[in-house]
Amino acid sequence: MIAAARRKEHVLDKPDRLASARKSFRLALRVGASLAFIAATTFILFRVVPVNATTAGFLFLVAILLIATKGGLVESTIASVAAMLCFNFFFLPPIGTFTIADPQNWIALFAFLATSLTASQLSAHAKRRAVEAEDRRGEVERLYALSRALLLIDHSQPVAKQIIQQIALSCEISEVALYVRSTGELNRLGLAAGDIDPKLRDAAVRSAVFKDDGTNLIVTPIRLGGEPIGSIALTGSALSDAALQSLLNLVAIGLERATSQKAVTQAEVARQSEELKSTLLDAIAHEFKTPLTSIKAVTTDLLSGTPDSLQPHQREMISIADESTDRLSKLVTDAIQLARIEGGTFRLNLGIHFPSTLVNAALRQMKSMIEERKIDVIVPDGLPPVRVDSGLIQIVLTHLLDNALKYSPPDNPITIGARLGEGKVILYLTDKGQGIGETEQAQIFEKFYRGKNERHLQGTGMGLAIAREIVRAHGEDIALTSTPGKGSEFSFGLPIAPGAISQ
Amino acid sequence: MSAGKILVIDDDPQIRRVMRSTLTAHGYQVNDARSGEEGLQELRESGYDLVLLDMNMPGMGGMEACRLIRSGSDIAIIMLTVNNSEGQKVDALDAGADDYVTKPFSTPELLARIRASLRRLPQLPGHADLQPLAAQGVNIDLSSREVTVHGRTSRLTAREFGLLTYFLTRPNKTIAHRELLQAVWGPDYGDELEYLRVFVNRLRKKIEPDPSKPLFLVTDAWAGYRFHLPQ
Repeated sequence: MIAAARRKEHVLDKPDRLASARKSFRLALRVGASLAFIAATTFILFRVVPVNATTAGFLFLVAILLIATKGGLVESTIASVAAMLCFNFFFLPPIGTFTIADPQNWIALFAFLATSLTASQLSAHAKRRAVEAEDRRGEVERLYALSRALLLIDHSQPVAKQIIQQIALSCEISEVALYVRSTGELNRLGLAAGDIDPKLRDAAVRSAVFKDDGTNLIVTPIRLGGEPIGSIALTGSALSDAALQSLLNLVAIGLERATSQKAVTQAEVARQSEELKSTLLDAIAHEFKTPLTSIKAVTTDLLSGTPDSLQPHQREMISIADESTDRLSKLVTDAIQLARIEGGTFRLNLGIHFPSTLVNAALRQMKSMIEERKIDVIVPDGLPPVRVDSGLIQIVLTHLLDNALKYSPPDNPITIGARLGEGKVILYLTDKGQGIGETEQAQIFEKFYRGKNERHLQGTGMGLAIAREIVRAHGEDIALTSTPGKGSEFSFGLPIAPGAISQ
Repeated sequence: MSAGKILVIDDDPQIRRVMRSTLTAHGYQVNDARSGEEGLQELRESGYDLVLLDMNMPGMGGMEACRLIRSGSDIAIIMLTVNNSEGQKVDALDAGADDYVTKPFSTPELLARIRASLRRLPQLPGHADLQPLAAQGVNIDLSSREVTVHGRTSRLTAREFGLLTYFLTRPNKTIAHRELLQAVWGPDYGDELEYLRVFVNRLRKKIEPDPSKPLFLVTDAWAGYRFHLPQ
């Protein structure tokens, strides 16, 4: 008990006066009791069952040992001195005096005193260890309870608040406050905000420990991997330094776990919303394209008949319906592509492809539109393969081609080609149109932007925006060089496939 | 005399109407079904030459229907879908489709695809050509389109059979992608490398003792495929 009281005194340098008085009173009581025990022993040995000096000496030692095991060092030391005096007075000749006749008895008396003092010391020491061990066990139990509680924390509720409640509960601390640096969140239990908040922030920022012995307050940073991630304030904690450190580690892990849990949850929510968006876009595409399919099947069937199967007027009418169907279909495709790209619901399906394959595939897809135009294709042999999403690059090329077809005179040739750049293959498309003025050059990649002089042309205004987003997703960008009156060149790089040998 | 019997499986009534009208006008005998389940039932009850199968349908969906049809039949299947992505094309071909048409399509294009799928392939290899294969434990029955590899028998679809016979008549010679596509699929084809990739894999699964280490159907990187026939 004394050991525990002492340890507490170490922590509480200015203990409460009342508690201190109570402690002194208890100590006086225990000293009195041990003195009474020695007196009783003396009386029994001297009056009730008289024994010789040797036996009396041993029995006094037994009494001292009993006192030492039950009590503390103070009472057993006082009892040792008292027993020595009684032994001398009542049992060592000349009896009834404190003088000693035989010099040998002096030795016996000091041997008795030394033995009883040593026994007191040892016993008190063992007892102190036992009390300490008991305290440690208590701390470990509390920390275990806390760690279990932190593991079972409900992550859908505010985590910091639950942590301080669990600390208060498992460590029997009434006043706790926790500051989480990443969120700036402050949670208090029984502590005044104005007082503690600046100290908590200070501890977390400067990574310094603050101790106020007057109010028995400790404010200490919570570190994870050396970095302070927050701070905690505790009042009246009976925890040892080691236990406090463990508690801090537990809180650090608890906070970190909450953060990562939150990140996982957010990623999951984002993924689900992406999936939902993607499914929605698929459904919209399907709903729009299904009726268009019926119309297209009808118009193309009618138009594919023999030349005299339709009157010229009818053929013209059906051609208009057919072209409008194509236009509407392209509008739906572009709108969905743009929504998909902007909504971040597309993934690059990277594969290794030859530039010639990419260019040919785009030309093939645009076959019906380029039949009457002169297209020069310049793709040198021996260009290395590139690592791209071929489907998406095909979309880029068709949008660029579509753009060139629309904005350059029908008689002027269009060139589509590829050349070797630094670590990449550059695809380019040039037209001999009117060119694009400097101010317009930046604007044409904007969504829904239509050329100033070309408003009469059919288009969705989405093609170049889509093309640029796709190229950017490949880590490149579309470059535009244009000379008004002469024409324009759109070009973009594509990464050469790793391991491919450039020639 | 009908050009062939076609089953249209699509959940959209307008598409069924227009397909029935168009295909009938072009000499085909046409029937339709509103779902994959109904289509499978119809196929069990009567014989067809070709299925036009919509990818996106409520219920089992086109992809699953394609797999189920293919597991029990070598009928020609053309899938119709609004999605133009390469991944979906490969998925459809993997599920057993012979071809793939993106909606909205033009009628002449669809008719060309149907004709290509129904085309009878000439030039059967002679039995003498097959002797070295038999020596390797692979038996091909040309009349029933059945392949037996070490006792495991599988039936080839018309397209797979066409591809295999084209290879068998030109052994030990690299055949370019374009040549294969135009010879086996038709003159309108030539750049659909994904078709070749999927069909060569499908063939390997049926004729190779170990499809991951092909003995006969070897890839000549960037050039084409070669049928290796041990002399």
